[in-house]
Amino acid sequence: MLTEIIFYTFSSILICAALGVVFFRNPVYSAVSLILSFITSAFLWFLLESEFLALILILVYVGAVMVLFLFVIMMLNINEQKANSRFNTIAPLALLIGLVILIEMITLIWLKSNQFTETLVIIASPSSENNTLELGKLLFSEYIYPFEIAGFILLLGIIISISLTLRSKKGKKTQIISKQIDIDPSKRVQLVDLERGDN
Amino acid sequence: MITLQSYLTLSAILFAIGIIGIIINRKNIIILMCTELILLAVNFNFVAFSYFNQDYTGQIFVFFILTVAAAEAAIGLAILVALYRNNESIDVDKLTALKE
Repeated sequence: MLTEIIFYTFSSILICAALGVVFFRNPVYSAVSLILSFITSAFLWFLLESEFLALILILVYVGAVMVLFLFVIMMLNINEQKANSRFNTIAPLALLIGLVILIEMITLIWLKSNQFTETLVIIASPSSENNTLELGKLLFSEYIYPFEIAGFILLLGIIISISLTLRSKKGKKTQIISKQIDIDPSKRVQLVDLERGDN
Repeated sequence: MITLQSYLTLSAILFAIGIIGIIINRKNIIILMCTELILLAVNFNFVAFSYFNQDYTGQIFVFFILTVAAAEAAIGLAILVALYRNNESIDVDKLTALKE
């Protein structure tokens, strides 16, 4: 009974926060609302016994990604949307599309629910006691290559975002790498024969 | 008793809200936030199926999705910063350089 109360309370908070992300005019309010929805969904993931992912969601998203969003909002100096005409013309279309998607998915889920429930036997397996341990075992044995690729993707993210936003000054003095590589060593170093011991 | 269907319905609602947000907010940074909302809905599906089938593979997938989403958010924000530097605005409707 307590689980139901927690689930329905948190899911209504989550939906309200998600609606706030979409409909707030000020981007800072939207970002804070998105933080609230991430934290609420982390609590819901605790209900699903995936503790590691819930904590990672709070650490990575609230701690890193949303701070990045707030920094970019601060740097870009976006004003609140002034012209509402565009907003009003496209809003009914957006609501229609969203409603159609929602109705399609929900009917599919509830029509096919008997197929899900055949496999839905919740076994209190002893291996589910330590979520992090089990995830780590799987991640470093069976999924080791995807794990390496994920690390490589993060490296790509660093390089791309730095190279996109790097702004070089105009009068900066740097090396010309192509000239440095092109150099002919025989023209650079002059070997001089020294006569020794004549004095 | 909370069934799998309630979690799937919740994630469907989140997904629809994200789609609506992407269509409505076209001159704002909120587009990227709505992408994050959609990814969150997908992660909800994975975690729910992982719990109800007692299979950890879904959670591994969520881990990778979180990684890719973090990289994607960083790159998207970098693109927005470069765009704002060139155009003085981040309105999607003004990106018509390839059309002319």
